[in-house]
Amino acid sequence: MIEFKNVSLTYPNGTKGLKNVNLTINEGEFVVIVGLSGAGKSTLIRSINKLVTATEGELLVDNENILTHKGKRLRSLRTKVGMIFQNYNLVKRSNVFKNVLAGRLGHTGTLRSLFNLFSKEDRSLAYESLKRVNIEEKIYNRADELSGGQQQRVSIARVLTQKPKYILADEPVASLDPPTSHQVMTYLRKINQEDNITTVVNLHFIDMAMEYADRIIGMRAGEVVFDGPASEVSEKTFEEIYGRTIREGDLRGGTEA
Amino acid sequence: MMHNLPPKPKRSTFKTVRNILIGVILAGIYIWTFMGIDIDFAKAVDRMTNNYARIIPKLLDPDWSALSDVWAAMVETIYIAFAGSLMAAILAIPLGFLAAQNMTNNRVLTTIGKWILSAIRAFPDIILAILFIVVVGPKPFAGVLAIAIGSTGMLGKLYSEVLESIDTNVVEAMEANGANKLQILVHGILPQITPEFLSYAIYRFEIDVRASTILGIVGAGGIGTLIVFAKMNRNWEEMGLILLMIIVVVTVIDLISTQIRKRLV
Repeated sequence: MIEFKNVSLTYPNGTKGLKNVNLTINEGEFVVIVGLSGAGKSTLIRSINKLVTATEGELLVDNENILTHKGKRLRSLRTKVGMIFQNYNLVKRSNVFKNVLAGRLGHTGTLRSLFNLFSKEDRSLAYESLKRVNIEEKIYNRADELSGGQQQRVSIARVLTQKPKYILADEPVASLDPPTSHQVMTYLRKINQEDNITTVVNLHFIDMAMEYADRIIGMRAGEVVFDGPASEVSEKTFEEIYGRTIREGDLRGGTEA
Repeated sequence: MMHNLPPKPKRSTFKTVRNILIGVILAGIYIWTFMGIDIDFAKAVDRMTNNYARIIPKLLDPDWSALSDVWAAMVETIYIAFAGSLMAAILAIPLGFLAAQNMTNNRVLTTIGKWILSAIRAFPDIILAILFIVVVGPKPFAGVLAIAIGSTGMLGKLYSEVLESIDTNVVEAMEANGANKLQILVHGILPQITPEFLSYAIYRFEIDVRASTILGIVGAGGIGTLIVFAKMNRNWEEMGLILLMIIVVVTVIDLISTQIRKRLV
């Protein structure tokens, strides 16, 4: 369970990233956060694994206030919170298998990992994860030989190998074309259901949010302005969240190829 | 047929005046320097026709009987360059990390690192060789140390630039999955930098082969020693062979190094 209690975040330059956010994200939920760029979606998601640190309030992950976590405790928090990025963030010169094994780093002793001594279980887990996103045939290809959609699947496999309890995905489909976007979202949704991993995704495409989310959280200017089940959401809701009428660019369109 | 040409770019008078001024100043500096160095062109042409007519044919007629000696000295030169570059390639790693802003996250440390590297680069190789001859005596080892220190300055700077240009998103991704600093270094940073580090080290070896050919002039070993002897004895045929050897070996090494570097990155 992730709980935001009166969380605010002010960046060193004075920009307010979050303003008094109160939220509870329950086990197994698939939450999509929507909002215009600059609304604070990334800040919200990144504060959960403390890539950015909230400056006020309490942020509880599994009933522990993470805002004071440092060093070892911070790493152990991050080990159970996996993250997927817009630009995949793979080591481009390393092969797919190495990239996926990197998901085990948090679970592996420093000395062993320095010499690439990942256990049999870890290596088989990495391979299984690649199979789950159907990219196992690329296992020994260098990451930079893969297309964007394939790289994003590898980064999903990396997160799976981490065996997280939570997955955070920061604009995972913003750099992909519509069919590939649907494919990536389908994998995320499937993993959420099969492994019961709580998943929080940032999106700015409203049709995708409505299609995949259990629950939608709308943000504007650092504040949560909407929070409700996806079934209760209509275009009108989005117009309220965005503070303007819906345009073509707010829709991803297309279906899974 | 009508051509619809784009409007002519606007030329500001300020820019025109500025460009003319720059031209005048440059010409002034040239004239001033030539007046300062006092060249007697008549004498220069005279010497050239006299000496070079005598020497150049001899240079072009190498003394092949000295081949084994010259080859041995060339091999020593390559050894000096290799040992020196290897030492530098390793010494430059910690300095490169120290001088890279994104590795230390500390302005003071980075500045110190950059200063050390600039200070090293300020010494020409030949001065370093003279210094090390004082320390270890007139031996090839002095040459090795001179090459090592000289190259460390350049490699350290290039390494730090490679480090500053790495993809930090990868580092963020690894931080986000709970890896510690050492793990991020080995799994996130090393794969990104190793090919470039190697490539620069090989490139520097290429430069060092050239640099070590002259170290012998101050007594730090290698083929330069033979150059000094050949000049003292006015043995221009042997000098011809030495120069030919240097040209061939340096070219071959350049070609090989270019091929290897192409494959690395």
